[in-house]
Amino acid sequence: MPSARPIILAAALACLAGCAAELPAQGVARGEVLFQNCTQCHGVDGGGSDLVAAPPIAGLPAWYVEVQLNNFQTGLRGAHADDVEGLKMRPMARTLKSAADAKVVAEYVAGLPAKKGAARVTGDVAKGQAAFATCGACHGTDGSGNEALKAPPLKQIPDWYVVKQLGKFKSGVRAYDPKDATGATMKGIASGITDEAAMRDLAAYIHTLPL
Amino acid sequence: MLEHYMAQASTYASHVDGLVWLILLITGFWFIAAEVMFFWLLWRFRAQPGHAARYIDDHEEHDIKYKWVEIPHRVILACDVALIVGAITVWTEVKLTRPPTDETIRITVQQWAWTFQHPGADGQLDTEDDIVSIDEMHVQVGKTYLFELASKDVVHSFSVPAFRLKQDAIPGRVITGWFSPTQTGDFDVQCAEICGIGHGIMPARLVVSTPEDHAAWLANPTHYLAYQY
Repeated sequence: MPSARPIILAAALACLAGCAAELPAQGVARGEVLFQNCTQCHGVDGGGSDLVAAPPIAGLPAWYVEVQLNNFQTGLRGAHADDVEGLKMRPMARTLKSAADAKVVAEYVAGLPAKKGAARVTGDVAKGQAAFATCGACHGTDGSGNEALKAPPLKQIPDWYVVKQLGKFKSGVRAYDPKDATGATMKGIASGITDEAAMRDLAAYIHTLPL
Repeated sequence: MLEHYMAQASTYASHVDGLVWLILLITGFWFIAAEVMFFWLLWRFRAQPGHAARYIDDHEEHDIKYKWVEIPHRVILACDVALIVGAITVWTEVKLTRPPTDETIRITVQQWAWTFQHPGADGQLDTEDDIVSIDEMHVQVGKTYLFELASKDVVHSFSVPAFRLKQDAIPGRVITGWFSPTQTGDFDVQCAEICGIGHGIMPARLVVSTPEDHAAWLANPTHYLAYQY
């Protein structure tokens, strides 16, 4: 369709010009604009929505958000046929067309104030606290995370999300790729959790950790 | 001619295109005829000095109606019959009948990804050598495939333009259909039903291979998931 190409090209350039006018070239301001894609599920304040199984992301460390965005883009995460939520996140992460864009979005997300939602999971907090000793080795005894070990903070992660992700690690729906080194560690840990009740206990305890 | 813009890569693609041409030619003829008539009438009966407007009598009206309304009306009805026969013929071939199929592919769609479960070398689904891939479907040219289409969440539509194939996926139902690829190559798979914010970013690739290449892929199923900036 050679005759239509100049028209299509002109229209595309006009659209790009319109977009470029609103998209800052770099920095957190650019991250804020790019974040608009995320708000459909994660909310304008990054507070998440359990209705669509989108976890709160506000206040997560930039390094962690960046790594996860990269994992979704490369298929290390969210490319398992049984990972319904991950398969939703994967194409959204791919809308970021450069590593720099992933970085500025991560920086913007990290700057949002973390919030703690209401408890959604019932479990035995005492049992969860005892089991958390294993988690604390990497994620910190207060659940603050440890960047050196690539362990994200847990204290702001909602209880329902903890249960869901532990289940995914245990079943291999996450950390299915041998190249996912940190995921493999979590998979090993999660495989030692006996059942969902034990996951609920852990989640119930994690929910009690102060922000 | 349409094949210059979009490959006709299935056995029924040219038949669907033929139907599109039939619709285009018939509706195009009548569109042009109506426009020519309209503008000719505007010119022919424009205001002119010495020509006063008048009402036509009953005899004139009968002749004019027969000539300009009833005859075209009957011809258009005949065109409608031709369109309906053409449409039903293609619909019957694509949707209502199914030739013997060689293999079955299970297609599961969700917001916003396609999962394809291919039979392995044994040609049977739900066996150990099945190959599951995300957003990438592999088939062999010349084979006839049955597909089982299901949705995990909302209404989607499995669309393969090069096959001229489109089938809605309805949550709670497993909808079957068939296709038989006639050309090797990489083709687009797209969702043709608005299904949420990620609707426009859930494309998949369809790889139609020769028997040798397909066998090689079955033996070593590479996946294109690796993402390049």
